[in-house]
Amino acid sequence: MLAMFAAGAFGALLLQQNDRAANLWGNCLAIAGSGTGLIFSGAALLRGTIPVFVIDSSFPLLSLSLRFDQLSAFFMMIISLVALLCSVYALGSVRHYYGKYSIGVLGFFYNVFIVSMMLVVTAHNALFFLIVWEVMSLASYFLVIYERRETASIRAGSLYFIMMHAGTAFIIFAFLLMYRLTGSVEFEAIRGGIGAASPLMKNAIFISALIGFGVKAGIIPLHVWLPSAHPAAPSHISALMSGVMIKTGIYMMIRIYFDILSGAYLWWGLALLVIGAMSSLLGVLYALSEHDLKRLLAYHSIENIGIILLGLGSALVFSSFGLNTLAALGLAAALFHTMNHATFKALLFLGAGAVIAGTHTRNIEKYGGLIRLMPQTAFFFLVGSMAISALPPLNGFFSEWLTFQALFQGVLAFDVVTKIIFILSIGSLAFTGGLAAACFVKAFGITFLARPRSEQAAQASETAMLPRLAMAGLALLIVGLGVFSGMVLRTLATVAGSMANLQGAETADVAQFKSVSIQNGFAVTSMPAIFIGVIAAAVAVTVAVSLLTRKRKTATGPTWNCGSDLTPRMEITATGFSRSLITIARGVLRPSSETEIEYHDASSYFPRVGTVTTSLHDIYQTFIYKPLRDLTTIIAGQFTKVQSGNINAYILYIFLTLIGLLFFLDLQS
Amino acid sequence: MAHLNQQTLLVFATIIFASAVFLHLTRKNTSAVRLYMVQSSAIAALLILSSFDRFSPLLIVAIVATVAVKIFIAPYFFYGLIRRHQLKFSVNTYLNTPVSLMVIAALLVLTRSDFFSALAVLATSGDKMLRLAFATVLISLFLAINRKGALSQMIGILSLENGIVAFALFAGLEQSPGLQLGITFNILIWVIIATVFASMIFRKFGSLDVTAMKKLKG
Repeated sequence: MLAMFAAGAFGALLLQQNDRAANLWGNCLAIAGSGTGLIFSGAALLRGTIPVFVIDSSFPLLSLSLRFDQLSAFFMMIISLVALLCSVYALGSVRHYYGKYSIGVLGFFYNVFIVSMMLVVTAHNALFFLIVWEVMSLASYFLVIYERRETASIRAGSLYFIMMHAGTAFIIFAFLLMYRLTGSVEFEAIRGGIGAASPLMKNAIFISALIGFGVKAGIIPLHVWLPSAHPAAPSHISALMSGVMIKTGIYMMIRIYFDILSGAYLWWGLALLVIGAMSSLLGVLYALSEHDLKRLLAYHSIENIGIILLGLGSALVFSSFGLNTLAALGLAAALFHTMNHATFKALLFLGAGAVIAGTHTRNIEKYGGLIRLMPQTAFFFLVGSMAISALPPLNGFFSEWLTFQALFQGVLAFDVVTKIIFILSIGSLAFTGGLAAACFVKAFGITFLARPRSEQAAQASETAMLPRLAMAGLALLIVGLGVFSGMVLRTLATVAGSMANLQGAETADVAQFKSVSIQNGFAVTSMPAIFIGVIAAAVAVTVAVSLLTRKRKTATGPTWNCGSDLTPRMEITATGFSRSLITIARGVLRPSSETEIEYHDASSYFPRVGTVTTSLHDIYQTFIYKPLRDLTTIIAGQFTKVQSGNINAYILYIFLTLIGLLFFLDLQS
Repeated sequence: MAHLNQQTLLVFATIIFASAVFLHLTRKNTSAVRLYMVQSSAIAALLILSSFDRFSPLLIVAIVATVAVKIFIAPYFFYGLIRRHQLKFSVNTYLNTPVSLMVIAALLVLTRSDFFSALAVLATSGDKMLRLAFATVLISLFLAINRKGALSQMIGILSLENGIVAFALFAGLEQSPGLQLGITFNILIWVIIATVFASMIFRKFGSLDVTAMKKLKG
């Protein structure tokens, strides 16, 4: 598998003079590698075996240690699955880059990116993990700035680069603490030796890992890189970054909190619940205000990471009380939503990519009426929109339902403060679900319905066969994961139960194909029954409508519009659609609105054109990142005093440091 | 290195140390280059002696490369620089000779003191050589700090590298021949780049005195 990705990466580079050959080679090898990864991880997941590969190196502490336990196999399966379909999509979609940017370079970083993600979720040595983590960040950075002549891409890439390395600093700190406590960087050894660590050290590791991996996951307020970096990359890369890459942060949180660190504290779970509730609610509110289709989807990634954190937070709370059965339920909900989000977000980004390639703009105000020009893309986008809005019988519904059940168990079980946090989390999740549905009514309606609002939209055409094939595959997966959720949940419960802290936990759910029952019948759902019900209802309505209207004649004529011509300007805009919802949440979003009116004459009585521009005040920049930047500038300014420009002085610093280190060594001995 | 005659090793360690001290005293650039050649020859001799312990064809290649780079190629570049730009003397220092000698003496005392005992435990057989090698490191660093001429600083850095190699050999920290070969190649590249840069700087500023290069400061 590694050889396939290596061949894909270097072969694409070698073939970069021929765009078509580089595209074929790079993506076909990525398909082969992902397919192999899918088979391998699927087998490891279903058979329950744990293949281990260890190659020692001559560097101290470093070993190329790979371990495919249940959790690693699960995440590798998601990566392989999404990468496989994204590569099929890329075969047909990157053609519009021919002659503009190097396809060989794209193929190189694309293959490196996929394989580094696979290695991240299977690495079991902290040093090796950090190396592949860094490779993943760098490969994705180069993919973000792939369209290097676009200033926005370069700016997005720079922000991404800085945030990733700030996050990595915290991750290194967490691993250093673990190394200090256990004297090893092997995950197995750390797990065995960290049990006796003091609460202070465990809390320090928890916080460092939360910040470090939270940056990658895009939790609020560490999300600032995400809305600009994801849209800047080519669409199949956006799909991988949003659908899969940010989940590597979630993977490591699960690995550390449920597998490596033993004995979770209550506040860890409560903190995750609060962060999850904030991220989900604010993520969807920001998405509502977006007019850039890819940025809108990027904000929904923050929302869904929030939902995953709600599952993880509830699991940590249950684990802290020793309620491992319920903890396994919360973790299974988080894992299920992780997988679901990977599928529907990838589908939505690929659909958005097809729309953008057809219209050459990301501004949804300029779309409209695309359902007639791109009917299949519209259908796939609709499936993705329904899934992310948690509408039954699709997969998004089931994982959110499962998350609700985990949160309900928290309300039933604990003291008042914990109960309140669980109740607020439930409220946040419910509110998020409603707002997500509203947001996708906007995204789908403004993009595909009504009439084209620009020349670009009027001239759009359906995307190529391979991208449609990839989207169809993802749409099928979404339906399949929804209908067969009972069977999937059984596997995920096994994954959750394999974590060191939850081992031996009996599952709180009875998952069968026909139905899923939580906590001895506290809640029951049957996805196949819902699926059949929805299909039956659709058929019944269609039959009823056709029966009732069969004698009615169809008359086609112009729409009456009070005597004036009907133009696209009369359609509701994305701004208009979301304005009322943004107004409700103005306390949080701090929107600003600018109205500009052009008059026919100087009298100001007869307006010719009126424009309303709305924007949101960036509270994270104002209250967190700008003060941080200012503080860094001040500290850096102090350090310029030692920058004399004299090489003798610089060597003197080295000399004094050496002497200082010797003193330190002497004191230590 | 453990089984080799201690007196022989001490002689080489003393040559390396003495070369570093004399680099402070000399005013002629050509003498400085010659002293560096002497110091490098002692290092090469130590490497040859160490090869008796663990013979391998790659080690012989590494030794040949070290001799070629440190005794022939680097001095060749430095002589070229001196000849091209008439850099016979390098007299500018921050501290005068008596004070410089006092600092050197202080550094030597430091390496002979208990303060150094934490590192002395590394010595495989007797710590005299190890202390001398470390004194070479400190004195070479001091050379780079004290001299204003870029050529002296470059020789100071190379002398520092020789001190580190000697320290590693006396502490039994010999690296693999492949790594030594890599380090030697690194030095070769460094010397080429440094002399080319020095040439360019001389053409621009008419001097290799770093205090005269105000316009280079950021």
